Amino acid sequence: MTGQVTRQATGESTTGESTTSESAGRVAGMAGPAASRPVGLDTGLRPRFRGRELLLLVIVGIAFTAGSVSLGAEQRLLAEQLAGQPERLVLVPADAGILVVYLAALLAAHLALVLSGRRTDQVLLPAVGLLAGIGLLLMQRLPQRLAGNLGGLAHTQLVWLLIGLAILTILAVAVRGDAWLRRYKYTWAAAGVGLLLLTFVFGRDVNGARLSLSIAGVSGQPSELLKVILVVFFAGYLSENRPLLVEESTRIGPIALPPVPYLAPMVAMLAMALGIVVIERDLGAAMLFFLVFLLLLYVATARVSYVVLGVVAFIVGGAILYALFATVQERIDVWLNPFADPNGTGFQIVQALHAFARGGILGTGLGAGLPTIAGRPPIPALHTDFPLAALGEELGLVGILAILGLYLVLIERGLRIAASAPDEFRALLAAGLSLVIGVQAFIIAAGNLKLIPLTGITLPFISYGGSSLIANSVIVGLLIALSDRGPEAKPPAPPGRISRLRRRLGGVP
Amino acid sequence: MDPTVLAIWVIRLLFLGILYLFLFFVVRALLRDLRSAAREPVRELGRLVVLASPSGEPPAGSAFRLDSVTTLGRDVNNSVVLEDDFVSATHAALTYRGRAWYVEDFGSTNGTFVNGHQVTGLVAIAFGDELQLGEIRLRLDRPRE
Amino acid sequence: MTAGPALRRVGIGRALGRVGLSLAIAFGAIAAGAGYWQVAESTALSHDPNDAAVIAASRHILRGTITDRDGNRLAWNARDKNGEPYRVYASPALSEVIGYSSIQYGNAGLEAAWNAELTGAASPDPLQDLTRKFTGAGPDPASLRTTLVLALQQKAVQLLGSDKGAVVMLDPRSGDVLAMASTPDFNASAVTNPTTAGRTFAALQSDPADPLLPRAIQGRYVPGSIFKIVTSMAGLSSGAIDLQTTFKQQPPAEKTGLLVDGFRVRDGHHPGTDGTALDYDQAIEVSCNIWFALAGLRTGGTQLLSTAQALGFGSSLPFDLPTVASQVTNGTGSFEGGFKDEVELANAAYGQGETFVTPLQMALVAATVADGGVLMQPRLVLSASNTAGTVSYAPTVIRRVVSNEVASEIRDAMVLAVNGSLGRPFTAGAAVAGLDVAGKSGTAELDPGVNPHSWLIAFAPADNPQVAIAVIVENGGHGSARAAPIAGSMLKAWQTWAGQ
Repeated sequence: MTGQVTRQATGESTTGESTTSESAGRVAGMAGPAASRPVGLDTGLRPRFRGRELLLLVIVGIAFTAGSVSLGAEQRLLAEQLAGQPERLVLVPADAGILVVYLAALLAAHLALVLSGRRTDQVLLPAVGLLAGIGLLLMQRLPQRLAGNLGGLAHTQLVWLLIGLAILTILAVAVRGDAWLRRYKYTWAAAGVGLLLLTFVFGRDVNGARLSLSIAGVSGQPSELLKVILVVFFAGYLSENRPLLVEESTRIGPIALPPVPYLAPMVAMLAMALGIVVIERDLGAAMLFFLVFLLLLYVATARVSYVVLGVVAFIVGGAILYALFATVQERIDVWLNPFADPNGTGFQIVQALHAFARGGILGTGLGAGLPTIAGRPPIPALHTDFPLAALGEELGLVGILAILGLYLVLIERGLRIAASAPDEFRALLAAGLSLVIGVQAFIIAAGNLKLIPLTGITLPFISYGGSSLIANSVIVGLLIALSDRGPEAKPPAPPGRISRLRRRLGGVP
Repeated sequence: MDPTVLAIWVIRLLFLGILYLFLFFVVRALLRDLRSAAREPVRELGRLVVLASPSGEPPAGSAFRLDSVTTLGRDVNNSVVLEDDFVSATHAALTYRGRAWYVEDFGSTNGTFVNGHQVTGLVAIAFGDELQLGEIRLRLDRPRE
Repeated sequence: MTAGPALRRVGIGRALGRVGLSLAIAFGAIAAGAGYWQVAESTALSHDPNDAAVIAASRHILRGTITDRDGNRLAWNARDKNGEPYRVYASPALSEVIGYSSIQYGNAGLEAAWNAELTGAASPDPLQDLTRKFTGAGPDPASLRTTLVLALQQKAVQLLGSDKGAVVMLDPRSGDVLAMASTPDFNASAVTNPTTAGRTFAALQSDPADPLLPRAIQGRYVPGSIFKIVTSMAGLSSGAIDLQTTFKQQPPAEKTGLLVDGFRVRDGHHPGTDGTALDYDQAIEVSCNIWFALAGLRTGGTQLLSTAQALGFGSSLPFDLPTVASQVTNGTGSFEGGFKDEVELANAAYGQGETFVTPLQMALVAATVADGGVLMQPRLVLSASNTAGTVSYAPTVIRRVVSNEVASEIRDAMVLAVNGSLGRPFTAGAAVAGLDVAGKSGTAELDPGVNPHSWLIAFAPADNPQVAIAVIVENGGHGSARAAPIAGSMLKAWQTWAGQ
């Protein structure tokens, strides 16, 4: 053992560093061929086969093709029945263009991930691909004039989906460090709130809620992007202050409350976001922000008291909202008894429940359900707020269970990425991002099924809408990046080299 | 039954069936990951023994079990927190790659030393090698079987 | 705290596990919710008239035809210039019972009640519904064969003429409704025809005569003396009165009025029986209010109410079409049976007081007497047929209300009321040559200065009843003035139809 390290005060460091860097240089030089290999984080193009992802994507491709053919056959049959022609069975996809473009996009995303060579998650992309594919089938099946200015519902959705996949892939390939997220969390938070305020001032009302902001002809829902920003902020703040939140507490007499001073910035941020979305009457987003905040706080602190406090706050807040806003009152009353006014306030949810009921166990089949009255589907917001009801009718309980399973897969993958993250920020970020998707899917699915009051929020990856698709693509892109398990275990170096190195360093094992 | 109707039924059920085929493969993959993850904590890759620690944090003589990635530094987010004035917030990392341990200095102010030699970038180390970060001396030991 | 960070990492892992588990449970709840609506509630909701599929089917699909019991078409389809189907009806006389099925104004009457079957959204055969789901076959609209007789229905409306009123004719043995007319009626074909619909419907809604109200099932009227049959059933079956019962207060009370609890029940003189204490048959024959007031008091409010409820009073009747409930009393009083006091009970016993009835309910009272005391469920549909076959519906017994003996005692009295020398003036016109008719007239006194409602309930042939009838003409005067002749003509028409 020759390693007698001298204490290096700043003054002496110049010489010390220069000598050691020389020796390190020699070490590298002695290593011979290894010297040319890049050291540290890899930036070179080193493709890495992703077998599991490819297999799953092939299944997605078959599923999407089968769904497309099923829809196409059903649509053709209905058209022939309407025209009074004899029924001929022709097995062609509903829209071959969409089929080819979408599957090609998935394949391209896969190839990009292969080329990046990172050891990242291989399940998220296919699971998202399948969910979005089911959504795309639904959009093809609905009346095309419902929404979308790029040649109808399905084509517009496809374009947004391509943009989403591109963003997902870029993030999954390119995001390596997390400093840009961690360090500027307050900047991000401020940007998010600013975005919401903009919506509040310049936004457009959609069904009594001010949801949509239009910039240069492209309109979007800022609350969708805000959810990502909030999670980044929460993860950054919680990881930094976790020891304090866990160990400290504010005492009022015998009651131990959470440490108010350390919670304040985060609660203030949450309150601001909640305040704005509540005033904008985007109750679904409010519920989502609050639940994700609460769950993330629990993940960071493992303190049940926070959850209890949060639930109490939720009930109190709900009661206040109920007293203040007619919208909230109506939502709750409709939730409690939608059949009281099946053609008025309860219309949407009653029609949704009827759609589920019509589907039964096996469903009517894609394209065969959703009766139209005067050319309109029974629920106006079918493509944004009630896609699950539509899928419940056409794919049946069996299909619904599969879709729920896919969301559980996303959640499981996200939480596992969180559990194996190298540091707390990444752990909380991964947990928060996957919770956003899981909780959002829960809120709208449970709302559709009258388990909780209905709030207008999208079903991730299935609902129509650019903002939603892009925000959720950002989430999954980040999750894939966060799942990076680092450079692959390198093949063992030639023993000669290691022993030479050891000798050089003076270590004698 | 009408062949048209029959064919449409077959395709419909096929579509639903493929959804479950997908879920089957995914769940199989998840379970595999779960099993390998369950094996991991049991497999100790190495031990880091504290030889000298003037501040007593961590106390000399204590030992850490090492995962494949262990970060060292003063910041609480590190896997091993070193309370020493001469240790940087994020000082260095020990990584196990395949069959060998590597140490990487993150550009710390006072450097990382292996057996008395300062290292830059990624350098392979062996069991028994001694590390010095600030005033804290550590030794990489073989995992306990 | 060397191991501090490591411990905290473990904390995150465990909390993540718990959060994951709670989300899994939440998704389990969604799955359970989906199961509830898609399996447990599936059948109920998808057959609901509010179901979009039911509504859509009714717009796009040719409804099944509706025929009378002899196969005469009552409702069928035509197509407008766009090729969209609309409904055509055989006669305006059917409007109050068959109703209409209009794309703009929805469904009414039998068209509404049997909408799911007529559109094929639900099959009459539940088994077919199940197989249909699996084969993916389209809806299979069913045609209905009703219990109605078109000729009798048209005759009833023609007899009511421009008066407001209702005629209900039943087969007492099966509950089959042979005719159920309400006037004023309307032209249902004009409501369903897209070119005339808007105009027609607006006019109907603003018409003060309220032609859209099916009076036979939703009009509530003071019954007057026909209610004495209900009092008879209660009194005779409870033993409170029998055929020999007389009341010694009755003869003097005819002059002075009967004093009940400080209130005088008055009655006119009965020509031919002045001063005699009447027995049951005579009291029915001359329709003595005082006798029935006393009989009602002796029977008691509780008994009267329970007999009336056994006949269907107090709730809407089990019927294809929605009916309003008939009542004996408001039921808010503290006296026995919910009557306010003895005065109300005494008045109710002869059909005044707070008693209100629907024509269908009174037809069922007549039918119950005719059927030996057994109340059959009234019905409009004999069978429903689609491509899978025909489902025939069997008559349903609701309950035995009184014994056969009591029923035949009342029947004998009702025969006297039509054919007896004392009763004949009250029921003039109800008698039919060659048909032994039993009946009871009623004159429902309203506010002073307003012409009373004219009532008659009857059945025939008395020894083997095959038809029962209730007739009301609003403000038609005495029972004998309007209702009795209409009933007589209807029974004659029935006689012709039945080949008696």
